[in-house]
Amino acid sequence: MVDALVLNDVRKSYGNREAVHGISLTVKEGEIFGLIGHNGAGKTTTLRMISTLLNITSGTISVYGYDVATEPGKVREIISYLPEDAGAYKDLTGRAYLEFIAGFFASGKERDAMVEKGMRLADLGDRIDSKVDTYSKGMMRRLLIARAIMPSPKLAIMDEVTSGLDVINAFEIREIIREIARSGVTVVMSSHNMFEVDMLCDRVGVIDGGNLILLGTPGELKERYGADTLEEVFVKAVKNA
Amino acid sequence: MSHITNIISKELKELLTPGSVISVVLMVVLFAGLGGMIDSEIEKAQAFPELCVVNEDASIIEFTDADGTYTWSISSFLEDLYTSSGIPEDELSDYIRLVDSDSIDEAYAIMDEEGIGSALFVDPDFSKDIVSGTRGVVEQIYVYEPTGMFGTVSSSVVSSVMSMINEDLSKRLLGTQIDMTDYGFLTEPIDYNGDNVKTIVNGKVVSGITPQEIAGEVSSQTMMIPIIIMIIIMMVGSLVISSMGSEKENKTLETLLTLPIKRTSIVAGKIIAAAIVGLVYGLAYMVGMSIYMNSLTGTMSSGLNLEDLGLTLSVGDYALVMLSMFLSIICALGICMILGAFAKNYKSAQTMTMPLSIMAMIPMFIVMFSGWYGSGALIQAVTFAIPFSHPMMAMQALMYDDVTLVLSGIAYMVVFAVATILITVKLYNSDILITGLGQNKTVQKLTGRK
Ligand SMILES: Nc1ncnc2c1ncn2[C@@H]1O[C@H](COP(=O)(O)OP(=O)(O)OP(=O)(O)O)[C@@H](O)[C@H]1O
Ligand SMILES: [Mg+2]
Repeated sequence: MVDALVLNDVRKSYGNREAVHGISLTVKEGEIFGLIGHNGAGKTTTLRMISTLLNITSGTISVYGYDVATEPGKVREIISYLPEDAGAYKDLTGRAYLEFIAGFFASGKERDAMVEKGMRLADLGDRIDSKVDTYSKGMMRRLLIARAIMPSPKLAIMDEVTSGLDVINAFEIREIIREIARSGVTVVMSSHNMFEVDMLCDRVGVIDGGNLILLGTPGELKERYGADTLEEVFVKAVKNA
Repeated sequence: MSHITNIISKELKELLTPGSVISVVLMVVLFAGLGGMIDSEIEKAQAFPELCVVNEDASIIEFTDADGTYTWSISSFLEDLYTSSGIPEDELSDYIRLVDSDSIDEAYAIMDEEGIGSALFVDPDFSKDIVSGTRGVVEQIYVYEPTGMFGTVSSSVVSSVMSMINEDLSKRLLGTQIDMTDYGFLTEPIDYNGDNVKTIVNGKVVSGITPQEIAGEVSSQTMMIPIIIMIIIMMVGSLVISSMGSEKENKTLETLLTLPIKRTSIVAGKIIAAAIVGLVYGLAYMVGMSIYMNSLTGTMSSGLNLEDLGLTLSVGDYALVMLSMFLSIICALGICMILGAFAKNYKSAQTMTMPLSIMAMIPMFIVMFSGWYGSGALIQAVTFAIPFSHPMMAMQALMYDDVTLVLSGIAYMVVFAVATILITVKLYNSDILITGLGQNKTVQKLTGRK
């Protein structure tokens, strides 16, 4: 299988403080990879470097063979990044927002088809024609997931996608993620919900204080720590680190 | 602490940020500086002007009263007037310049050569006329200098000096020519108004118009431009900065920056959209203003036609003014894109517009009060360096055919706009848009923070 994402000794400093201390990992095509770690561990920083938003202080990241630092344009064509707590343009309706984004990827009929797909994914009913500033958190998140998946990226990067959502919304979003992975899209996501990561992710990386301290499938990790849940693994790993 | 003081102190902490305090202090300094500038402009204008008296000999008249015979002349009256108001006798020649010539054309040439702004030309038959009981003619000649609001006060000082001369002569005539009964002549022995006022505009001599009237007409036609430009720049600027602030607040910027679009397209798209809005605002204001102006001039026009003075703009000139305006909007937007890159959210974006507003106000005041042509080298340098000055000055400059100033302003703005856009694109390629200023290494070095 192709390597969708390769991080090689990636470091990031904010000013003089290093927030990520040399992370190396590889994600295969079609995999769902979960990043876990407590608040401030460096998950968002890592995801932003993968998404071409932050300059990498040292080390390299490649996405489907394209170097993030030297070929950001190529990388942006095949990724989709969903920031944590993201919003949309308040004055637009959901449909107009999807049309706006689709305009960067396609034109004419193709664009219309992309918007159709986005509306199906968002599944907001007639509220798709309401202004987004009237949306609830769950509705907004569905719209943004739809926006991220609609252009059929090869790598989807999602920062805490289900945080703050109700059971049904979270469940449906997990279903969508599973479905796109089955169709060959690689997913890298962060989450604080160990149950979700356990169920959804093919492999998991645990970040603590900017270091990658654990890497493996949820099954492997549970076995290694003799734990029943990923939560237990996480607590033990972080305490030992 | 009661609940209300708790809330008040929290709100104050939020509102009194270093940024807002600094901008208020800047405003105070700016206005104080302007006050000083206006003061000195008025003083300069109201002091006794440098005056050239041409054909002084023609004004010498002999009077005989109880004490005997003495002579009177315009220059001797002026010398008395100037010395009695505190000008030392050895400096008099700096103020009153006597030229012996009975040709008015020579007078123009001398004024032009020596940069003298006002002159009195005494008619060769002046004393003969006075003695024979007809009104003597003295022509007031001015060179029209394009300055700001107060620059032309000196011409009114000269005409009041002229009326003092008239009054003095009238007194002497009333005291000596007891047999004369033509009181019209006795009270107004000098004919110095009406067509005897001559103003040299752009090298052309026009009669019956004072520089003040011209300045009034020019400024009524061009005065609104600096104000309109200032309003547009502030408005468009705050549009762009707030849009950046809210893009950051909603993290739409983060999304935008990971889409397959060039940074230059994002920057250019934002700038062009705001520039279009700015131009629409600008045109709307201009149309509104010109309707307002037209309805005013209908009732209180000075009857002065600037076209006759050669002070008009061709279609090409208007195109230059529009180009200058458009470029200044682009420059403003470039500055705003840079400022906006540092705005953390919608609220901090609001204070970010302050530097821009100040930059727009400085040239507006300078252009309105002292004018480009009336300012010293330092103020001219400051004015030129602020891109928004150029459209504010363009219309007046073109009226005086100063195309060089307008074109060099346009060239400067092009360079300025390109520079700001390059800086913006650079910022868009850096972390600053995502992380803000706090973590920037150079900023940390500058503020000594670790
Ligand atoms: N803009 C920034 N400037 C300075 N330090 C930052 C900045 N962004 C993040 N950091 C620091 O980098 C470290 C990692 O932050 P990051 O946001 O990546 O954590 P995270 O794992 O996403 O946390 P959370 O689960 O709370 O979202 C933290 O110590 C944080 O304080
Ligand atoms: Mg985070």
